Amino acid sequence: MNLASIIELHDANSIALIDGDDKISYGELRDRVASARTRLHQEGIGPDSRVAIIAGNEPAFVVGALATLGLGAVAVPIQGTSPMPELVRKLKAVSPDVIAVGDAGDWLAPHQAELGAPFVDLTTIDRSTSASGDGPVPPIAHRDDDDLAFLMLTSGVSSDAKVAMLSHHNLAWIQDSIIDEPIVGLSAADLSLGVLPFSHIFGLNVVLLTSLRVGATIVLQRRFDAHFSLELIHRWQITFVSGAPPMWQRWAVADAPDNALSSIRNAASGAAALPRDIFDAIRDRFGVEIGEGYGLTETSPIVTWSRGVEVKPGSVGRRLEGVDVVIVDPDGTPVEQGDTGEIVVRSPGVFKGYLDAPEATAAVLTDDGWFWTGDIGVFDDAGYLHLVDRIKDIVIVSGFNVYPSEVETILMEHPAVRGAVVVGAPHGETGETVVAHVSGDATAEELDAFVRARLSRYKCPTEYRFVDELPVAPTGKLIRRELR
Amino acid sequence: MTEQPTFRFEAAPELPGADRISKYGFGAIRKLVDRLWDVTVEGIENIPLEGPGIIAPNHLSFCDSVFVPAVLPRRVWAIGKGEYMDSWKTKHLFPALGMIPVDRSGGDAAQAALDTAASVLEGGHLFMIYPEGTRSRSGNLHKGRTGAARLAARCDAPIIPVGHVGTLEIQPPDSVTMKIHKPATIRFGEPMRAEDFGDPTDPRVLRLLTDAVMFEIARLSGQKYVNTYAGAPEQVEGTKPSVPTPGSRPLVPTIPSGRIDPAPTTNGGSEMAHAAVSELAVRT
Repeated sequence: MNLASIIELHDANSIALIDGDDKISYGELRDRVASARTRLHQEGIGPDSRVAIIAGNEPAFVVGALATLGLGAVAVPIQGTSPMPELVRKLKAVSPDVIAVGDAGDWLAPHQAELGAPFVDLTTIDRSTSASGDGPVPPIAHRDDDDLAFLMLTSGVSSDAKVAMLSHHNLAWIQDSIIDEPIVGLSAADLSLGVLPFSHIFGLNVVLLTSLRVGATIVLQRRFDAHFSLELIHRWQITFVSGAPPMWQRWAVADAPDNALSSIRNAASGAAALPRDIFDAIRDRFGVEIGEGYGLTETSPIVTWSRGVEVKPGSVGRRLEGVDVVIVDPDGTPVEQGDTGEIVVRSPGVFKGYLDAPEATAAVLTDDGWFWTGDIGVFDDAGYLHLVDRIKDIVIVSGFNVYPSEVETILMEHPAVRGAVVVGAPHGETGETVVAHVSGDATAEELDAFVRARLSRYKCPTEYRFVDELPVAPTGKLIRRELR
Repeated sequence: MTEQPTFRFEAAPELPGADRISKYGFGAIRKLVDRLWDVTVEGIENIPLEGPGIIAPNHLSFCDSVFVPAVLPRRVWAIGKGEYMDSWKTKHLFPALGMIPVDRSGGDAAQAALDTAASVLEGGHLFMIYPEGTRSRSGNLHKGRTGAARLAARCDAPIIPVGHVGTLEIQPPDSVTMKIHKPATIRFGEPMRAEDFGDPTDPRVLRLLTDAVMFEIARLSGQKYVNTYAGAPEQVEGTKPSVPTPGSRPLVPTIPSGRIDPAPTTNGGSEMAHAAVSELAVRT
């Protein structure tokens, strides 16, 4: 199937997108997408061409992505707010045939030459484009399951950003799994808050495409503003809200009535660990339990989630049906029940590899479809997954694994510590040693005494470096590489 | 060396070894160990004189299962193969040493062993378990299995790490006799509790506690630690494991699927094997 067809059968009058006061019906969306297909076709876009979509959470993104897929081409979503050098680097990595732009086109236009591909301004495309005599609208092209639909930049927090290749079936299979979930469900009657960036797999597939697939309504929020989100949720009686931890944190303390979230049927968090105090704050104030999930760009993205099961704070939920998950030792042997190891995943959502990077692909993806996530986790006896750390963040001291999260948690318990990040540094005798980067008013001596009373000796930092601020990505993930 | 507390032969009629043969047999073993070997005991004050406790020693030699119980101020129980009860040579000796026979064939063996161990601890007794699961053939201290930590969390019992030196010289691998008059040192560390490593119901605590116990054992025994299971191939020293190439990776078994099935969804529960109660104290 071609993913572009997901909007084709819905009632023409039902609302697909709400953008400010503007409501766009499925009928109108289909017309706009058809117009955009015509426009992109004129630029020579066809099967397997690449179209970079530089847009935020705006109708232009939706139109550009679906038009690209409809022509059989591959869409490359890129955050519209990226600074110019980063944008140039990202575009170079994917060499698009056309750059389709939304609102960001205004400030990008003077840089066209630098960006290396012709521009198509999606904001000027409306129904009239096709009616103005540009020839017949190209039909939606047939695509096989394994044909590529999206190239996703896995910016993440790793230093070596890679481009993940996702097929039509990768994404559609996850959508089916979400829609088929029998307890919460998702239907055309639902409204979903579109605030997670569509250039990220969570916002793209779990929020945008899955909602379009069932004919639900997506209320777009172009720029995050906690108070405005809550207004949108209340005004439109939004039923599905997915956010990243920093969003939930701001919603927890936003100025809003305590019934602001009363319409929500499902609240989800992903992209980084949700701190327990945020979970408690949202539950205590709004009566909503946030279900955490776990996934990666490479898994389209859901591996585990908390929908349809009792929410267990601190865990990232249970395996999505149809996703095989095992926890393994470094040699690939499954660990014993209840032990910690690397999370390895196989599902129809697992990607097709990294673009132009066979070695990087071979390092994580086996021929029989198992994807090695690089994340350390453990299942409890009830089948709930708990994340520990990234493998490459583990510090090995005299052969013992030190999980930075454990040391950071202890440091954060000190009243004078605002933030803490633990990394490894080479050490002549023990292989590596633990170094703590701390923001706060404590002294190294105080912290040393505090930590020694609470942790085994090999886990205690041998060096404290005091910083004003710790580097944090917008998703809430700490950027450790900047501290190594 | 601290002064030895008086030995108390705990009456535990619900457990094996409560009979007179065991009582006198174990008394004789204690005396023999005292007279035939030069055993130094350190940290004996770390053994709780009442209430439950998990004795967690390193494992180098068969005779570990004799020496550690023989120097404790209380009786200690452990799990051993059911087959020992079929041999006239061992059917009196092993219960005297506190062995509880558990049939280890079949899928529920591990769970049965775990439940048996838990019942010993819940009765307020000491239970001995080798966290490495089996004897170390390399002489290094190997990665711990999580059974001891699991019991500690389940039964709210402290783990007493034990590091001993010298038993390998007394009874080398594959030797059936023990060389007398040789020295051995047995060191008991401070009790460790699951709750000090986080919420005991958090599954992450099992590995954190296990690793911390192994670190203490390494400190007490002076062994080098290697982060692979005893019996498994060892990693090259000082390197992090690189991601193996697909060809070198064994196939990972498929996990049964199921939307909200009550059973654990991964690394199947019945496959706990010897994990839960690792290798138990008395075995060859």
